[in-house]
Amino acid sequence: MSRVRGLLLVLLFAAQLNAQNLSFVTCPIVRDTKTVPCWLAEYKGETYYLGNQGGVAQDFYPPQLNHEVLVEGVVAQGLRVCGGIPLRPVKTSVFLEINRACNTILPAEDEIEAPQSPQRPPTGGATSWVRSDGPADSTLYFDFDNDFLSLHTSTAVERLAQYFQQSRASEIQITAFRGSSKLSNGDVLIEQRDIAAARAAKVRDILIGLGVPPTALKVQVVGEVRTPDGINDPWSRKVTLSVKPVEPVTPVKP
Amino acid sequence: MKKVCLTLSSFICLAGLGGLVTAQVSQPQLQWFQAGAGVELPKELTFANAGGRLGILNADGPVNTKGHPFFEPLGINGRACVTCHQPSNAMSLAVDTIRERWQATNGKDPLFAAIDGSDNPSLPQDRETSHSLLLTRGLFRVGLPWPPAQNPNPEFTVEVVRDPTGVNRDPIWGLKSAKPTVSVFRRPRPAANLKYVLAPDNGSFNVKLGVLLDKDPATGKPVSMNMMADARATTLAIQAESAYRDHQEGKGQLRQDQLNRIIAFESQVYAAQVFDNGAKDLAEANGPGGLGPLNLLREAAGVLNTPAKPVFLTFDAWKASTEFRQSVARGNELFLNRTFWVKDVAHINSIGLGNPAKRACAVCHNAVMSGMDRAPGWVDLGTTNYPTWTEPKTWNEPGELPVFKLTCRADARPHPYLGRIIYTSDPGRALITGKCTDIGAITMGQFRGLAARAPYFSNGSARNLRELVDYYDRRFDMRLTTQEKEDLINFLGVL
Repeated sequence: MSRVRGLLLVLLFAAQLNAQNLSFVTCPIVRDTKTVPCWLAEYKGETYYLGNQGGVAQDFYPPQLNHEVLVEGVVAQGLRVCGGIPLRPVKTSVFLEINRACNTILPAEDEIEAPQSPQRPPTGGATSWVRSDGPADSTLYFDFDNDFLSLHTSTAVERLAQYFQQSRASEIQITAFRGSSKLSNGDVLIEQRDIAAARAAKVRDILIGLGVPPTALKVQVVGEVRTPDGINDPWSRKVTLSVKPVEPVTPVKP
Repeated sequence: MKKVCLTLSSFICLAGLGGLVTAQVSQPQLQWFQAGAGVELPKELTFANAGGRLGILNADGPVNTKGHPFFEPLGINGRACVTCHQPSNAMSLAVDTIRERWQATNGKDPLFAAIDGSDNPSLPQDRETSHSLLLTRGLFRVGLPWPPAQNPNPEFTVEVVRDPTGVNRDPIWGLKSAKPTVSVFRRPRPAANLKYVLAPDNGSFNVKLGVLLDKDPATGKPVSMNMMADARATTLAIQAESAYRDHQEGKGQLRQDQLNRIIAFESQVYAAQVFDNGAKDLAEANGPGGLGPLNLLREAAGVLNTPAKPVFLTFDAWKASTEFRQSVARGNELFLNRTFWVKDVAHINSIGLGNPAKRACAVCHNAVMSGMDRAPGWVDLGTTNYPTWTEPKTWNEPGELPVFKLTCRADARPHPYLGRIIYTSDPGRALITGKCTDIGAITMGQFRGLAARAPYFSNGSARNLRELVDYYDRRFDMRLTTQEKEDLINFLGVL
């Protein structure tokens, strides 16, 4: 099962290599529709579709007016959605500081409709920002310069804690990374220095709160930043979690 | 149906809450429940108010208040819990009641204790002007230590830039006193229907912060964090202890048996309107299933709004009823389904819903029967932060509340919609956490018994339900019609 999953990920990445990746910083745009609003972004005169307004249970957390957003996505083939070329997968990271120029709300148009958003499974989907290779391992992906755990990522941590307790494991290895992003214009954004430590601390605190003994948690913070390529950058901002099984007891020879 | 009415002067009737209450009589010791009065609180009783009548249900039966720690003064200032949580006011306190007490006692009632029943304990306490915020807006002073105990290294500094009461610059009580204190002014919350207030969100997580919910230190179980305006006390036991010290000026700690009795009483009392002057009997058989205290007792807590189970259940039975009842049913539909752009509300827009989000009232007010947020419900609606606050927009208008200038550190995560310099009359949750993202965040209150406990909002700025609806209409550019406003007001009034 794990091998099949690994193959799928390789195929996904290979497909991305052939696709056009885009990374840019812009003001997001919200478009009203007859149903739910959809979120767009403009880059070099083209409009891209990011996703729909949904609930906290969905994988796509919409951007914020009054803030710029880092958009990292792959240009998808097919029809325009909500007036924009869809980016799939897409990661949007809201910048913290306020930019009041980011205030565009487009009115609804008769011909533009928001697509229905199918509810995605909690984790593990090809574009989900949580990946698991089995009950003992999870990788959580984060927005740029952010340590916020979405409902999906926090649920994954909870499942891992449950697995730790049920399997009577001895240790959970937490490895936190700081990432970077190469924009399509060549600029490079690097996350703040202490963000990996903040991610590790947050996940650690949650695991302890869920009953995992602090002594069972091994934390590694990776300070180096990998060289961004404009393709895999959203997957560089991560925390990996791995439950280590109890070492088999070696019988003592008489 | 058993009905017991006492023939006195104001409007109290003891009756079965399942039917219409017709008699109007009084029992002054219940209309204003004096601390230590020692009278019995019946299982079911109603109180008249401007909108109709409020019902109180003690699910465990009549309460003998003699010696009961909720009703007896335990501290040094003569107050009891009941002083600020009056049955006639839905276990809260209406400003009309406060004014009546001032007139009846010439300001001598323990309600007006200097510690928090006045604008500033250093003012001459015999003057009405020294209690102006309590008398005009129903506000009690809440003095909170700065920096907060929870965060000795807060993300922002506090500067007092306007101090109409003088308390925040007071040498004894102020920010630069020996015990640096920030004083804000807030309404007391209803001590009723608490199973709904205390029911935690599903699971262990606070979805708004991406961290675990706080836990009850006694049980280790997650708590709702929805009880107080700033969520500083998360259990009834912690709240009772702090109220004993802060509001009753008690020394030491409550005894365990006292705590147990206070919690037991608070956990079984329900309050809701049972009669409305326009809609008439709210508790009739086959009526809307969400009205009246008996339905509050029956329903389960911790249920999320869904089409199958809307927040206050359905009003279908009233859609073809009298004109007023049809208006209430339309108000319920507006509450559930009328979308508008919810914009710049920290801890709503900033938690994954997007800013703006096209939503209806019930998306945030989503807990069945209470209208609170099932997740921890502290949000910066904007009532206390400039420029959307409820206070005067310009300097030349007299302001009643203090104004603080908060400046966030450069390395802190700023408030998502107001940035790093924020003017506020109440920093809300941020006075507990010390976080910039929490500035102005106030826990939303329950919707029950509203007709019995004006004014509204934590700062008492909405004198009536129209002013409350008007605030939302302005804040979110809802463009409600006059009829829609009327429908919403009628709907809120019957809860």
